[in-house]
Amino acid sequence: MKKKNILLAALAVSLTLSAGVGSAWAYFTTYAQARGGYTIELGDKTTVEEDFSAWTKHVAITSNADSEPVYVRARAFCGQDYNLVYSGSEKWTPGADGYYYYSDILNGGETTDVLDVRIENVPEEIEDAAAFNVVVIYETTPVRYHEDGEPYADWTATLNTGTVEGGA
Amino acid sequence: MFEMFDKIKKIITSPAATLATFVLAVALLLFSSIGGARAALTYFSETYRTRVQMQDIGVTLEENGRSVSWRNYDTNKSDGTWDESTGALLTKMLDKGEKLKIGAEYPEELAVRNSGTIGQYVRVSIYKYWLDGDPADADTNKLRGLSPDLIHLHLANIGGGGWLEDEAASTPERTVLYYSRMLAPDETSPLFADSFSIDGMVATKVTQTTTTEGGLTTITTTYDYDGTHFCLEAKVDAVQEHNAQDAVWSAWGRRVTVDNGVLRLADAE
Repeated sequence: MKKKNILLAALAVSLTLSAGVGSAWAYFTTYAQARGGYTIELGDKTTVEEDFSAWTKHVAITSNADSEPVYVRARAFCGQDYNLVYSGSEKWTPGADGYYYYSDILNGGETTDVLDVRIENVPEEIEDAAAFNVVVIYETTPVRYHEDGEPYADWTATLNTGTVEGGA
Repeated sequence: MFEMFDKIKKIITSPAATLATFVLAVALLLFSSIGGARAALTYFSETYRTRVQMQDIGVTLEENGRSVSWRNYDTNKSDGTWDESTGALLTKMLDKGEKLKIGAEYPEELAVRNSGTIGQYVRVSIYKYWLDGDPADADTNKLRGLSPDLIHLHLANIGGGGWLEDEAASTPERTVLYYSRMLAPDETSPLFADSFSIDGMVATKVTQTTTTEGGLTTITTTYDYDGTHFCLEAKVDAVQEHNAQDAVWSAWGRRVTVDNGVLRLADAE
């Protein structure tokens, strides 16, 4: 009987003490969160327009409206019998590598100023017209930015083809 | 006289008395909740309103000096409601119509403010990931093949500045920071980040598809990151200052030590 009494008393005490357990395990906590971001737009599509008159090629490059901003450079090639003389807008400046660099960033939907490429030493009568050929090539590279936001062109950048998918 | 003591002793030691005491204890336990209800009633009386010191917890995420998101226990409401708001990060990073300059650093100063009335310890979980263009479906459209490392959030004040990086809990997508000192009410932590940028490498990652048809081989190059949506997410957790060591373990499941108010990560010592 005595044991039973002690057990009952112990149970009563533990029940009473357990009333405080709930509050002892509850801690004040809270939280706050936020997120954000933007969509990345990459890729460009440009086209070159050439007019020819008075032994001069008039070259201009146009960027599609949805293209990302790019830098442009261009140069012409011809046979060794002829000389090529560049002129036109001051925005086209010669580089040490033979290319002419357009100084402005070409944004989507814009067209460069005209670069004139005059062909000199052309004979009055061309014997083989098919062999007479002056080729203009141009290249673009996406505008990149330094950490301070200053734009620059990286003409040495190479694409990383991490994935190559084949098909027939 | 002694007879009376004997009688009382007999009554106390009788099984009936023990049982009665037990019943009384149970009854007291059951009725203990009535005290809370009565306190709630008196709380609204004018007399007690001026005397009750509320223990309200609240925390606010700050971006470039403005409050973005917060969750504060509402002192003016006794029904357990919260004053809370969830905003968005990076909304002011670009002007209207401005395009993101890849590689450029943008100011992104992030800090935590104690917007409650009690001292607290805080931690921040930062997530960086790519979506396929629809931010509303973050869980289903996460692009796990694209690298979170190309999303740069420049951390500040790590170590000596008061913020501790929990490297055990960090992954390429997630960074977990703990502020080692207690934040007093209305105190703002030092910045845990100060700038944001997207790595220029995103413009070099491409996938090429080669197709051959009628003897003509075509190689199509597509940018892996074109049209994707980068996400920066920050979640701030706060826990009460009192008994912080156990509170952190209970609430966040992280063993820490708190000595003289300075929190340390338990396994980083």
